[in-house]
Amino acid sequence: MSSYTFDEWYVIRLARTISDREVVFHGFASPCAQVAMHVAKRTHAPNMMLIEGAMYAINPDPPFIPPTSNDSSLKRGAAYSMRFEEFFDAAIRGDVDRMFVSGGQIDMYGNTNVTAVGPLERPKVKLGGGGGGCNISATIKQLTLWTTRHRSGRTIVAECDFITDIGHRTPAGTREELDYTGGGPQCLVSELGVFDYDSQGRMRLQELWPDVTVEQVREATGFEFAVADEVIPVAPPTQAELDVLRAIDPLGVRRGEFDPREMEREFDLVGAGV
Amino acid sequence: MYLDPDKRVDLATAASYVHDGHMIALGGGLSARLPMAMVRELIRQGRRDLHVVGSAHSMDVDLLIAAGALAICEESYVGFEQDLGLAPAYRRAAETGTITVKESCCVTILTQLRAAEMGLPFLPVRGIKGTDMRRLHPEYAETTCPFTGEVLVAVPPLKPDVAIIHAPVGDAFGNLFMEQPYVLDEHFAGASNSVIATVEKIVPTEELHDRGVVIPGYFVQAIAEVPFGAHPASCYPSYSYDRAHMSTYVQAAAKPESADGYVADWVNVPGGEDEYRNKVGAESLTRLTQWSESIDQWKGLFS
Repeated sequence: MSSYTFDEWYVIRLARTISDREVVFHGFASPCAQVAMHVAKRTHAPNMMLIEGAMYAINPDPPFIPPTSNDSSLKRGAAYSMRFEEFFDAAIRGDVDRMFVSGGQIDMYGNTNVTAVGPLERPKVKLGGGGGGCNISATIKQLTLWTTRHRSGRTIVAECDFITDIGHRTPAGTREELDYTGGGPQCLVSELGVFDYDSQGRMRLQELWPDVTVEQVREATGFEFAVADEVIPVAPPTQAELDVLRAIDPLGVRRGEFDPREMEREFDLVGAGV
Repeated sequence: MYLDPDKRVDLATAASYVHDGHMIALGGGLSARLPMAMVRELIRQGRRDLHVVGSAHSMDVDLLIAAGALAICEESYVGFEQDLGLAPAYRRAAETGTITVKESCCVTILTQLRAAEMGLPFLPVRGIKGTDMRRLHPEYAETTCPFTGEVLVAVPPLKPDVAIIHAPVGDAFGNLFMEQPYVLDEHFAGASNSVIATVEKIVPTEELHDRGVVIPGYFVQAIAEVPFGAHPASCYPSYSYDRAHMSTYVQAAAKPESADGYVADWVNVPGGEDEYRNKVGAESLTRLTQWSESIDQWKGLFS
């Protein structure tokens, strides 16, 4: 019987947030989202338009995923390389369907903080920064939020110390009130569960990994979140998805996103539709 | 416009066009085509109080901070991605308040450079509203669209004193060829008062035309030939990035004393860039140039 590890399943679940014929973008410094896009393109979403995070290359066929997102290997075989402004113009005028967004903090409305934890003048932790997310989170049609650090208890919080990228509503108003044309976060995939957002833009638990309980999710979350009437287990990966993932990421750069204890989560591939 | 037909100078002369307190834009991004030789030379010349603007950068900005050369950081990201993590000197300086952090967004910076390129007093952006970005940027304002009534954030032009760009090849006039992604380099060139360029190799203009001009020489004030001028960042097609060296830097930069040690050992060396390359070693540098020999060779540089 073959087995697979949690990082593999997690990336495949991220990939399944992508639909065919979507235009999809991931930011730099996010190998899980990057690998997920290549998995989707090679399995259920062959006609998606994949835009590589820091290369702005369309539908490349990289020989491997390197540990930096600005490397020429990531534009190999690309149909076209967009200029920086071609990509960002497409994103702000609403031509990009989906972006992957993460953060050091994510609040109940899906706002994210990648700027600073603690007081802004003297932060406890100065995070790297948001790239282009501040503007394009307002206009890209759907956002897939993701984090591999939910369990820390510091990531999914009631309020972000700083809002870098916009979710469904901030103290300044809702997306509608702010004239934002994008739809905001569609889902959040964490290493504990999968969430969607209710009509008020609040996070709601939809799916659980089989080795996680609702109680564990509650302990790790900084606010009371809604729970769907029926919480379903995350669907297992197929052999085909695992094969594609292992081929595209032979260096295992996706693993760098996880706390070492998550890497001990291992599963048997039983009865999966191959 | 800079119309002198021959702008070739040495690295030290090119660096002398950057003055204390200047707003500078660094070319390239993340681990690619960073103007590292010029960054090292500015540190050797003791430059202070610089204000850096740009998109997503890593060791170039962090090293300037580690050496005490930077006062204001207006980049959209400074870090070493998931691989090597947060930028140690940037993080320390931001947390202790020794630099002013004016973190920005790629789209905002692009829009501000476009305003400067077009000679306009401002341009609007659709985003920013509802985020906390204006807490870092009291200079932003609001404007009402005269046609639709929509209220948008208005941002002023960004006009760096000097753009510092590294490219694989250039000619004596300062025309530059580079591979994509160009990141913001074309806009830096158009918006800045001047460009100082370093290149792996200066070639005859006919040869450069065969490759294609990406940055026209009329924007360029000075050009210096500096082999491995982006190291430890990559400069494709010449060489891949030196992950091991970047990792050495990140470890050293974690503490002020060892950060000083890195600057003393690798930057403030009497022999300048010649000594730097010798120290890195011909064998290591050659290995980085052999990325194209096979996929295994390329992949091996990252494992």
